[in-house]
Amino acid sequence: MNGEDLIERVLREGERQADEVEVFYARGESISTEIKKGILGIAEESEAWSMAIRTVKDGRIGSSSTGDPDRWKECLNAALASGRIATPQQWGGFPKPADVTGTASSSDPDLIVAVENAAEMVGDLLAGAAEHPVEVIGGGAGPPPAYLPGANTSGVFYGMDRTVAAVSLETIREQSTGYEFDASPFLADIDARSVGEQAASLAARSLSGRDIETGRYDIVLSPVAAASILGQVLLPALSGRNVKAGRSFLAEKIGEQVFDEHLSIYDDPFAPGLGSTTWDAEGVPTRRLVFVEQGVLQRFAYDLKTGYRYGEGSTGSAVRSGSEGPGIGFHNLFVDGPRMKEPGDERAVWIHDVVGAHTANPFSGDFSVEISNPFWMEGGEQTEPIRTAMFAGNVFEMLREIGGFGKDTRRVGRLTIPSIRLNNQQIIGK
Amino acid sequence: MAEPRYYDIRCVRGETTLVDIDNGVVESAGTSFFDKAVIRVLGPKGWGILTRDHVDIDSKRDLTALIEAAARLAAVTQDQIDLADAPRSALPVPRLGEDPRDIDLEEKTRLLAGIEAAARVPEVANTRARYTEGIDQVRFLDSSGNEFSYEAVRSGFSVLAIASRSGMMQMGSERDHIITGFNLRDKQDLGRKAGEIAVSLLDAKLAKGGAGRAVLDPELAGVFTHEAVGHASEGDLVREGASVLAGRIGERIGCEGLVIVDDPTLHEFGFIPVDAEGVAVQRTEVIRDGILSSYLHNRETLAAVGHGIPGHARAELGAPPIVRMSNTFIENGDATYDEILSECKDGILLIGSRGGQVDPGRGVFQFNAEYGYLVRGGETTDMVRDVSLTGEILSTLHNITLLGNDRKMSPGYCGKGGQSVPVSDGAPHLLLESATIGGRGE
Repeated sequence: MNGEDLIERVLREGERQADEVEVFYARGESISTEIKKGILGIAEESEAWSMAIRTVKDGRIGSSSTGDPDRWKECLNAALASGRIATPQQWGGFPKPADVTGTASSSDPDLIVAVENAAEMVGDLLAGAAEHPVEVIGGGAGPPPAYLPGANTSGVFYGMDRTVAAVSLETIREQSTGYEFDASPFLADIDARSVGEQAASLAARSLSGRDIETGRYDIVLSPVAAASILGQVLLPALSGRNVKAGRSFLAEKIGEQVFDEHLSIYDDPFAPGLGSTTWDAEGVPTRRLVFVEQGVLQRFAYDLKTGYRYGEGSTGSAVRSGSEGPGIGFHNLFVDGPRMKEPGDERAVWIHDVVGAHTANPFSGDFSVEISNPFWMEGGEQTEPIRTAMFAGNVFEMLREIGGFGKDTRRVGRLTIPSIRLNNQQIIGK
Repeated sequence: MAEPRYYDIRCVRGETTLVDIDNGVVESAGTSFFDKAVIRVLGPKGWGILTRDHVDIDSKRDLTALIEAAARLAAVTQDQIDLADAPRSALPVPRLGEDPRDIDLEEKTRLLAGIEAAARVPEVANTRARYTEGIDQVRFLDSSGNEFSYEAVRSGFSVLAIASRSGMMQMGSERDHIITGFNLRDKQDLGRKAGEIAVSLLDAKLAKGGAGRAVLDPELAGVFTHEAVGHASEGDLVREGASVLAGRIGERIGCEGLVIVDDPTLHEFGFIPVDAEGVAVQRTEVIRDGILSSYLHNRETLAAVGHGIPGHARAELGAPPIVRMSNTFIENGDATYDEILSECKDGILLIGSRGGQVDPGRGVFQFNAEYGYLVRGGETTDMVRDVSLTGEILSTLHNITLLGNDRKMSPGYCGKGGQSVPVSDGAPHLLLESATIGGRGE
């Protein structure tokens, strides 16, 4: 039975027992290669198949998923059973067939799944790394594409192809390490050689760093470091579910100047990126959402369930990861602002990455993390390496006054973000 | 094409039950099904690996086709892999006290709701509880004729409370996971504890960053052990040149009397009856009396690096096996808790864990406490919040000056190479000299 036929069967069978049924299924294949000690160590190929079912009866939402097509009936029954226990809520139905506007592309027809292609990218990564005197520890290259269709009993059927090309490299020189990566739906965006060169350059340049005294310093967070810290704290605070549950620092602050007037945060599902899409994971048409405009909080993100429950309406923000049910997320989130000045004009500590961003307190915004590949920055240039230090602060407080954004905007997962200068921050030396 | 030198297949079929209650609302409660297989073939040089959903392991024809496909992948690899001989056998899995499958979803939801409700003490604005149950049916076979099958049952929960007062929010969280049966009965006290901690943190001070003496409670000291020593002792990192512990077997890296162990045979949350390559598991002393004595290995890293014990290969569902920790801990010393506090005199007592991370190549780690207390004259005083610790692997173990006698294990999940596996960590209370404490207090 092919996927579309199976979807149809689940919908017809489920309809007899529930008011509404939704089926989401994903099939994908991927090739990836892993680098071990500077050569191609492991070649991996994977084929995945998964189906997630949601049923709604009298406002009770049930869900289940399976990786085994033969167990679809069991999966449907489990979804119905789960619905009988869920707390009933306001529910206005799955989306109807709607005119989907806008174009979004998350798929590259030139991206061919073959181990030779991945091996070629490995060659480029290693050639880039060879420009500096470092050893390659590990890394990888792989383009995993997928086909993601979904359907519901309101007659909506949506499907899209997704491709991803990804490379990463990890290098070391003595006790100095470097890591770089890139991922894009489009093969042509990926410059494996440059990623390899950057990873090697970080390890080579970070060697023999000097200690730094504990104190307050002006700092510049690279796009990678900024994405790590903001991803852990700021993104959950924009989720409507957290807002309504009393778990968001930003709750009840719509219309307020919460951040620096130069900071804007928006989700653009139509921009080219890893999350580009014209429907969200529940078949709701997506739209551009401005969460923060010039520092003023504008709105939060909702999926169908939270939207109906609180009378807010879905913002087309449902995403899925793995075989789990949909939840509130972001498609292509941009952290942006005018480039008032170069972020490194005056002496500052440049922080390439942080260790332990996931230990930040997502509710209060407080964090203290170890910093990776820090350098003194003067006249916009990274100069002397710093050995080791911690950076402590509060995300919500530090974004109230921004010293500048860099011209180095890059994609870090689903976030597109420039380097951010923050003045007078707490650094703890050793 | 050359005959494969070796192949193995590992299938994990089973189900996951999740219940999620948020502020008294049953957000979701239900069961999902999975059936994943990983096929590995060792070609003339390295590994070719396939992952598939729903493979019929008993079909000779399917198996042959999969092995051929994996062998074609293996042909492009260049890294010369050899497999060390290793003892092959499986331990019995622990008997289940109460089998979670015998309890219906309604009862599980009701019990979880009781724990969640207990967290709702005055000033708590939000409570959330999640129950997680996993039933894994594992089957393994390899080209050397080894075959194992076993069932792993995990049951546990986490509860989170957020207290709120005039715009400030603080959290308390508790969790408990076991492999020996159903784990939701009589646990309301953990819910209450999460709520009470969240509320008391509203009045806690911000910790001040800098160097000082720190007492770590058994849970945090367990995470410290895991991050500071565990990862760097993993044979794959050692082989790849990504660990500062490479080439240091026989060296003193910690204080006298320090014993650090990874033991997959213990019936704690990281228990495995046999590893993911079909190798017998055994207790491995990474550090004996302060001296680095063993790495954690799988068959290929044992062959390449030596100095250690195999049986530490583990895999997340549908992912290839890599070298991992299981139940990692510091053995008891003989100091009492009171002696440790009084020896600390002026410093900080740190409790509970919000997780940690390590860069094993650089030898630097970071981990975060849930809360703590300032210690003045050997007595605990003001409560502090949002405090983390960092250290350097090669020096930090010399700074342990007292080991307690009250080791306790805590369950959790550990991430590496994009895979998450259940583990437990533990230690007695311990006293650290010149610890680097991170906090934004002035």
